[in-house]
Amino acid sequence: MTDAAPEPNQSKKRKRGSPKGIAPPTGDITFISVPKPPPSAFNKNRRAGCLIKAQLLHIQRAESARLPKEKRVGVKLEDIHTEAEAAAYIAAVTRILHPQGRKKSRPKPRS
Amino acid sequence: MPPGLDALKHIVVLMMENRSFDHMLGSLKAVNQQIDGVDGTQFNRDTQGNQVFVQPLAEFQSQLDPDPDHHFPAVDQQIFAGDQSATRVATMQGFVQNYFQQQQDVAHSQKIMYYFSADKLPVLTSLATNFAVFNRWFASIPGPTICNRAFAHYGTSFGQVGMSMFYPQGKSIYERLQDAGILAKLYYFDQASSTMEVVNLLQHQPELFGTYDQFLADCKSSKLPAYSFIEPNYTDHDNDDGEQLASDQHPDHNVQAGELYIASVYNAIVSNPALWASTALLVVYDEHGGIFDHVPPPACTPDGHSAGPADTGLSAPFNFDRLGVRVPAILISPWIPKGTVVGTDRVFEHASIPATVTNHFIGSYTASTAREQSAQTFLDLLSLDTMRTDSVVFNIQD
Repeated sequence: MTDAAPEPNQSKKRKRGSPKGIAPPTGDITFISVPKPPPSAFNKNRRAGCLIKAQLLHIQRAESARLPKEKRVGVKLEDIHTEAEAAAYIAAVTRILHPQGRKKSRPKPRS
Repeated sequence: MPPGLDALKHIVVLMMENRSFDHMLGSLKAVNQQIDGVDGTQFNRDTQGNQVFVQPLAEFQSQLDPDPDHHFPAVDQQIFAGDQSATRVATMQGFVQNYFQQQQDVAHSQKIMYYFSADKLPVLTSLATNFAVFNRWFASIPGPTICNRAFAHYGTSFGQVGMSMFYPQGKSIYERLQDAGILAKLYYFDQASSTMEVVNLLQHQPELFGTYDQFLADCKSSKLPAYSFIEPNYTDHDNDDGEQLASDQHPDHNVQAGELYIASVYNAIVSNPALWASTALLVVYDEHGGIFDHVPPPACTPDGHSAGPADTGLSAPFNFDRLGVRVPAILISPWIPKGTVVGTDRVFEHASIPATVTNHFIGSYTASTAREQSAQTFLDLLSLDTMRTDSVVFNIQD
């Protein structure tokens, strides 16, 4: 993939007022546009890298330390190859270890 | 006490992944000569002996694939160009030759020298030029993520130089604060991304953990803890809100997604005027990810541990007496003079984080490591007598 042509930052100064509900402090505000990545940037089938593989090992150890066998997710790490597969296992264990992190309705990204 | 420090009630640290200073912020030397970036003259030699100069050709994705090696032996080669003698000098001349080993492709190996032009990273470069950018913030260890992140949490990695899970023998910054009756929280992105602090999750959940959504809500409702550490999203995955793009900027994840994440953290703080006035936000990267930087890491105070050849992959032990490669670090607060460049005479590393947070919220703390005790703290940068009324706000394009 190559980068799309960069957008100019479109910096400009205004007094007060702001886009999309942001209520910044008083004074001169410089608004800077931030482009979003293209949809093609998303690839959940990317092979899990070394950082994720290390996290999987840690999560599995945590699962073994905290949960009796009958409550474990029962996934073999050698069967996990992609980021999506890794995320699914990590989510399953984290849901048990830290149920307080359960997703609620997510606000739209702030601007 | 300076009024900015007097007003300071919250410290927020956002730690990103695996990019070097020159790669992300090196272009700013053209904007401000005080910023110790690149000017096109820095080079490495490739495996054919050709000079490979730095160039502003970095792309958001698919350029550093495979992921450049950043484990201990590889970083040692990047810094010392393969010299393992007792009298060796850090030359920063081994990046291209090290990256060549992964694909045996001379042209591809040269991409490790690419850096971003400033206009490609509007969030990071705007924050750097509007607040304080550090010329000398280094990773704590010339190695990978887990051991480096440990320094941000504990002020040491307890002898670890790799990615292994370990049980700490000292108190994390979160436990120290908790013992003092002060709120601290580690916010991970979502349950599918979870945390790199799995041991902490085991030992100290739920009280020390939250999600990114909770961070946003805590900012909005003025319920942010005294200390917050934010982790990015480490994977591309789906959740109930649809596709979630990894925002950690770890190669080969999209760098623009990380820009959006940094912007959203910053916007969440700046949009609450009371919070903005009382918060310092540090954006920092855990390590360089194998990507070129031209500044040799300096020696540092040892932390009392030693890693043997079995752990380092080298013939000599490592006594935690040298820092890792330089990384981007930016401190943000309305009490910092615009355009502050922290000079080359002040060296920071990730142990500076618990040192600073402990010093500000607790005061004297003798149980920290020698490394942490010798680490520079950074809140003196909040030096203004009156708070700035100008600011930057990021407008995320649809």
